[in-house]
Amino acid sequence: MVRMLEITNLHARLSDGREILRGIDLSVGSSEVHAIMGPNGSGKSTLAAVLAGRDGYEVSEGTVSYLGRDLLAMEPDERAREGLFLAFQYPVEIPGVNNMYFLRTAINALRRHRGEPELDAGQFLRVVRTKLKQLDIGEDLLQRAVNVGFSGGEKKRNEVFQMAMLEPRLAILDETDSGLDIDALKIVARGVNQQRSPQRAIVVITHYQRLLNYVEPDRVHVLQGGRIVQSGDKSLAIELERRGYGEVEAA
Amino acid sequence: MSAIVDFPVKPEARPYLDAFARGDFTRDRREPEWLVGYRKASLARFAELGFPSRRSEAWRYIDLRPLEERPMLPVRGPKRASDRLAVRARLAEIGLAQPTHRLVLVDGRFSREFSALDRLPSGVWLGSTAAAIAERPELLRSRLETPPLDPARPFTSLNSAFFADGFVLDIAPGFAVERPFEILHLASGDTDTSLHTRSVVVAGEGSRAAVIETFSGAGAYWRNDVVEWRLAPGAELARVAVVEEGEEALHFGEMLATLGAASRLSSFVLLLGGRSTRQEATVRSEGERSRCDLGGAFLLSGRQEANILTTVDHAAPGGETCENFKGVAAGRAHGAFQGRITVRPGAQKVDAHQLSRNLVLSSRAAIDSKPELEIYADDVKCSHGAAVGDLDEAALFYLRARGIPNAEARRMLIEAFVQEAVELVEPAPVREHLLSRIGFRVASLEE
Repeated sequence: MVRMLEITNLHARLSDGREILRGIDLSVGSSEVHAIMGPNGSGKSTLAAVLAGRDGYEVSEGTVSYLGRDLLAMEPDERAREGLFLAFQYPVEIPGVNNMYFLRTAINALRRHRGEPELDAGQFLRVVRTKLKQLDIGEDLLQRAVNVGFSGGEKKRNEVFQMAMLEPRLAILDETDSGLDIDALKIVARGVNQQRSPQRAIVVITHYQRLLNYVEPDRVHVLQGGRIVQSGDKSLAIELERRGYGEVEAA
Repeated sequence: MSAIVDFPVKPEARPYLDAFARGDFTRDRREPEWLVGYRKASLARFAELGFPSRRSEAWRYIDLRPLEERPMLPVRGPKRASDRLAVRARLAEIGLAQPTHRLVLVDGRFSREFSALDRLPSGVWLGSTAAAIAERPELLRSRLETPPLDPARPFTSLNSAFFADGFVLDIAPGFAVERPFEILHLASGDTDTSLHTRSVVVAGEGSRAAVIETFSGAGAYWRNDVVEWRLAPGAELARVAVVEEGEEALHFGEMLATLGAASRLSSFVLLLGGRSTRQEATVRSEGERSRCDLGGAFLLSGRQEANILTTVDHAAPGGETCENFKGVAAGRAHGAFQGRITVRPGAQKVDAHQLSRNLVLSSRAAIDSKPELEIYADDVKCSHGAAVGDLDEAALFYLRARGIPNAEARRMLIEAFVQEAVELVEPAPVREHLLSRIGFRVASLEE
């Protein structure tokens, strides 16, 4: 098993100085699915944002190693081309940019980076159709502008579809389950399960245990106050659902 | 040297008066008396006005000092044969992919060689202004001698005095032409000269047509173009102007349009190239229930400056105006949009909306947006909106988070921003041409 992600004593604060992450240690190996759970404000989304390289956070201490490289030294787009994928909690609407064109640009950026030939429109369309079928997603999403006018469920499905297309080494899903009805949740879960592979690691960030009924994690971590306060196997998620986060804090 | 005027003229106008008196720019032409008289009167008007003042609102965003310091006199006589290969290459680049009716002006004069006018549909007269003076003198005379909408336009007067050629399009009542008429204005490399072109478009009752004009060239020339559009009742005209002038060129373009009852004008201007470019549209809605869609965009970088001005004057009731303009400025460029809508007393039930949205891509670039509504009727719907901002950071991050390099992601967002304004442009081949020229310009915007 390859060490995919190695987070050591990670501290991060907002531009106003508020410290959100206060010493995170986390190690994720390839083939593993980790779930990071925690109450609102615990730092879950900040962790995802810092890993993806979003502006507005300052890492004050600690290191993040991704496939043996210093992740924090890389630009956000370089991280993505190196195989890191973030499924956004709030996918961004981009008027005027066609979803298909966007995805083809992304895939070809990735292929150029790997020294592979770019896909032409026909080749791209064949890949798209295969993936859509696997995920049971309709083609209509592709003809629209990126996320514009999409329902909450459509936006999340679009994220999962992008993940399937980009075939990342490390996928981080930031509350992809939030606000989904049971059918949408199943589509998302199917997408995640199809992505499980010996070469890939998946980190699922979630507030609730219910996604974990469909996606079985190898490890579950509880994030609270910017630290991982407890780790365990999948039974920890069930325990959390029963006891709530307050109990964990007290423990 | 004969004196044209008997009063003291503005110093910056003097070299132009002297050139006119020498007559070298007209040596090759024998013009009818009425036109000679018209030119003299126009020159006198220019002498009286001088250049626009820096304090004049209509010219505050264009730096005229270089032009004041160094006169750029009209091209003398017909130009030497230009480099044909270069002209052909340029036409292939800036022209429509599948041209049908094409009129080419090289250095402000009609070029039969590069034009394609042999398949003109019936009901259409399209030719050079010089040809129209000979073949359609009444049409031209009536248009030129109609008092201008606003008499205080120095460069329009200068244009009247000096125009060498242009195009005239006359569509008979009831005729509809699907394929666009393409007019290409090329400057072939003369420097420190001015090109004055004067054109007229007349659309008969219930006729329909589309015209795309492209301005392009090489060298430090000054283009001063004036086109007059007249729409009879029920006529529908689409006009697209693409300005891709040489890097050092000045471009001042003026469109004067008069709308008859229930006529419809759609205009789109795209300013991409040229050191200083200015496109002004002055539209007078004379007939009831006319409709006017004005759109456009400028994309600027380096030290470019560009100015789009629109004035729509609703003199009749029930008219509609819809304006949508986009501006993008990178580097040290400066762009400005000025839009005025006037609704005259009694012009009730006018519906007029104006939107100007702008992207400023660097800390040294700037865009000004100045809407102006003058409403003298009480039962109207008018609105305007203006925004100036930077690229959407969240959208940029989203694209980058999918592996798209920063520069490419920025280009995608800039292009999407400008494309929105083009969506309604008809017909489709013209729209596609605009999208391709925008894509081409965006590619070098932030280099």
